[in-house]
Amino acid sequence: MSLLDRFRRTSNVADPLVTALQHALAPDRVRNDGAERSLASHDASVFEGGVSGPVCFPTSTDEVQRITRIAVEHDRGIVPRGAGTGLAGGAIPLGAPIVVSTGKMNRILEVDIENRVAWVQPGVINLDLSRHLRPRGFHFAPDPSSQQVCTLGGNIANNSGGPHCLAYGVTDAHVLAIEVVLPNGDVVLLGGLDPEPGGYDLRGAFVGSEGTLGIATRIAVRLTKNPPAVRTLLLSFAETRDAAQTVSAIIAAGIVPAALEVMDQRMTVAVENYVAAGYPTDAAAVLLAEVEGLPAGVEIEADRIAEIGRANNATGVRQAASDEERALLWKGRKTAFGAVAQVAPDYYLHDTVVPRAALADMLEKIYEICERHDVIVMNVFHAGDGNLHPLLVFDARVEGTLERVHAAGAEIVRASLDAGGVLSGEHGIGVEKQGYMDELFSDADLDHQNRLRQAFDPTCRANPGKVLPMGHSCADIQALRAVPTGVWG
Amino acid sequence: MDLKLDADELNACVQCGLCMPHCPTFRVTGDETLSPRGRIRLMREVHEHDAPMTAEVVDAFATCVQCRGCEPACPSGVNYGHLIETTRETLTRAGKLTPRWTRLGFFALAHPRLLRAGSSVLAVAGRLRLVPKRFGVPRDLPLRRRRHHTSGTDVYLFTGCVMDAWQRDVHQAGQRVIEAAGFGVTPTGSLSPCCGALQAHAGFTDDARRRATATIAALSEDDRPILVDSAGCGAAMKDYGHLLATPEAEAFSARVFDIQEWLAERIDRLPAVDPLPMCVAVQDPCHLRHVQRVHLATRTVLQPFVRRIIELDDDGLCCGAGGAYSVMQPELAGEIRDRKIRAIDDVDPDVVASANPGCSMHLAAAGVNIEHPMVLIDRALQGTASAGGR
Ligand SMILES: Cc1cc2nc3c(=O)[nH]c(=O)nc-3n(C[C@H](O)[C@H](O)[C@H](O)COP(=O)(O)OP(=O)(O)OC[C@H]3O[C@@H](n4cnc5c(N)ncnc54)[C@H](O)[C@@H]3O)c2cc1C
Ligand code: SF4
Ligand code: SF4
Repeated sequence: MSLLDRFRRTSNVADPLVTALQHALAPDRVRNDGAERSLASHDASVFEGGVSGPVCFPTSTDEVQRITRIAVEHDRGIVPRGAGTGLAGGAIPLGAPIVVSTGKMNRILEVDIENRVAWVQPGVINLDLSRHLRPRGFHFAPDPSSQQVCTLGGNIANNSGGPHCLAYGVTDAHVLAIEVVLPNGDVVLLGGLDPEPGGYDLRGAFVGSEGTLGIATRIAVRLTKNPPAVRTLLLSFAETRDAAQTVSAIIAAGIVPAALEVMDQRMTVAVENYVAAGYPTDAAAVLLAEVEGLPAGVEIEADRIAEIGRANNATGVRQAASDEERALLWKGRKTAFGAVAQVAPDYYLHDTVVPRAALADMLEKIYEICERHDVIVMNVFHAGDGNLHPLLVFDARVEGTLERVHAAGAEIVRASLDAGGVLSGEHGIGVEKQGYMDELFSDADLDHQNRLRQAFDPTCRANPGKVLPMGHSCADIQALRAVPTGVWG
Repeated sequence: MDLKLDADELNACVQCGLCMPHCPTFRVTGDETLSPRGRIRLMREVHEHDAPMTAEVVDAFATCVQCRGCEPACPSGVNYGHLIETTRETLTRAGKLTPRWTRLGFFALAHPRLLRAGSSVLAVAGRLRLVPKRFGVPRDLPLRRRRHHTSGTDVYLFTGCVMDAWQRDVHQAGQRVIEAAGFGVTPTGSLSPCCGALQAHAGFTDDARRRATATIAALSEDDRPILVDSAGCGAAMKDYGHLLATPEAEAFSARVFDIQEWLAERIDRLPAVDPLPMCVAVQDPCHLRHVQRVHLATRTVLQPFVRRIIELDDDGLCCGAGGAYSVMQPELAGEIRDRKIRAIDDVDPDVVASANPGCSMHLAAAGVNIEHPMVLIDRALQGTASAGGR
């Protein structure tokens, strides 16, 4: 059905599902107009083809539970949505399910500094939490580049990472307990505040489940103390390979930096054009390295990193002289994905992880693949853990481009897996990467993953059609579930 | 529907969402329809896919404060200002957005006597509590105004419309400060009664162009700098080059400076005096911070004259005033203001400094003690710190 038709089917259709939802929440917190549904059908990925049912804005666990029960009654799917910044299409609704936006579940419920725990609602923005904790000297460690807008619910569902996860670990290491509304409407608490809660680690199963096991409605996160001292270095290189080698050498030297981020020249030029932080635009690659800890220690480590850089042919080494300078450098790195539009209006990226030792070769391979497919590539990546983000930038309006982009992307994934890597470092599988799951996992692996899914959600109501490929999930059952025609797109 | 948008400007948005938390309407509603990414997506649906202009879509555009907080936040350099202005112009022409009768109000803006008469009526009505509070009109509008006087020809001081009627004392404070730095000032007064900013905001772009042409004609006898102490007017006048797309307009826009921006370069020329014994929180008007991007000048010029400057920890989020926004969308404007007031309360200043009449009135209406930075500097220069006011 065309977009236009979807728009035409607007709120004036009195649908019993919508009426029930409005009755359970409030009329103005259930939106069924074309505008709202069209927005809920997209996230930050290039995936088109989502079709959203009514969009709900609950404010409490209780309301999420009511929505879920209505979904059961009306036999509809249900898709949680945070800020919609996912890059794998995780929040994109398939088959006109009810979309549950956490936009109004954005309260920080309790901060317990003594025990280093905070209870939050899932719609709290990642950076808002750290900002709230700043006067008390704490923060939430996982810092996805999208942290100024993405939500903690989304972070948990994707087990997101960020530049500083090199030292602190990804989201999973910072979540203690999760209150979840299960797809049948039951409310359970997974995990707990005890360091070693007994029983199976269901909390661990939920983290990274991309909305397919239920909706997180309250989250207990671990708070991390702000480091007493930080040093940030910017190293530039005439060869990308030298940057990659420097990264390996730093780790090999036993230094555990808080962050090690690399950008190649195209990326650096775009970023510098936006932030004007003094990134060298003539370097083939730049390495942003950060060390944290006690003042004396960071001095020594910063000097060591500079030394290692020089030994690996760094053409420039600069240390941020002030907090402002440091913030500006990070602002550049963290807005990199957005800045690519200066080159072309669309981007498609993969998120594979390769062993650090394979980084330099892998980068060369990526350039080679993209050149062969006549696709522009911009590289920015979490070098410390080998997590690549090759951004293939293009103009979707030009016929045939998307096919070339996907072909190049597929080759990059294959090359990464061949190099002993994995499919997704942090962005999740969603709908975008589903097709590659077969290549990474055996049939038996996938069947067991599906059994876990079924244990939580036997009818495949939660975020139907995601993560597990067709044939290995109840996605096919879902696809068969009749969507009433004439009402939904 | 053809929204008359530039295809490349529209396509510059990659839907990354980084702008969303910088949008006041998204912040208070958590609803993506009321966010920059959402509005841009809707423009696309309407413009490129011919989606119908439903009430909800119109509402998404009508509720945009046009604070442009989304612009500096956008790493792709999306020119949201152009997109929303063009969209609103098209909708207004089609009779879908700003009701035509409001044009009458805008007519008065360009006619100083009518405006001042109207304003005096409002002043009386306000004192008699006849104006509904939700209109946000201050209850203590001036009944009498001191006449403008010219002290020289070094610079123009642009006095504008509503501000001249309601806050002429701010102009006069600004003039004294510039004079104290050793420059002669010509207040523009009825020479050039209105810059057209509010008209442009509302989508009456033809009216705005007429105002721009008249303003340029009136102030182009020589090429002296034109200082503006209202952030909204300054932003509009710096944009004449784009609005009219003529070389004269470009040249004119290059002569326009925010008064603080201009003074910051010459701050050494002001005498050293005792600073006011006050901690001042700076509330950056959006059109100073996000559009003109010269808000740092406020710190430079205030620094020597107050005890301490305090920053609000809200990334310069809009206060909800937005020209006529607080009248057209009182509910959202109120929620946005509440958020700003919480940010102000968090730092507990003696006074808040804001260089835009709209923001001042909107915040003052909620009980915030707020002054134009020029008024504070003037007070320090006069040594009337402890007297506490005008
Ligand atoms: C510019 C940019 C930079 C980025 N940088 C990084 C980065 O450095 N590291 C990184 O890991 N990712 C990054 N991302 C990807 C994305 O921001 C993260 O995956 C983020 O965690 C998604 O959060 P969200 O609130 O936007 O979630 P959404 O996109 O709305 O949803 C993501 C998934 O979470 C599910 N979900 C949302 N809320 C809940 C809930 N309450 N309960 C259960 N499931 C839920 C959704 O169904 C969906 O499957 C970036 C994205 C952009 C646009
Ligand atoms: S306007 Fe800019 S910041 Fe906002 S979604 Fe589009 S590209 Fe991203
Ligand atoms: S101009 Fe202001 S209100 Fe409008 S979309 Fe941008 S940030 Fe939001």
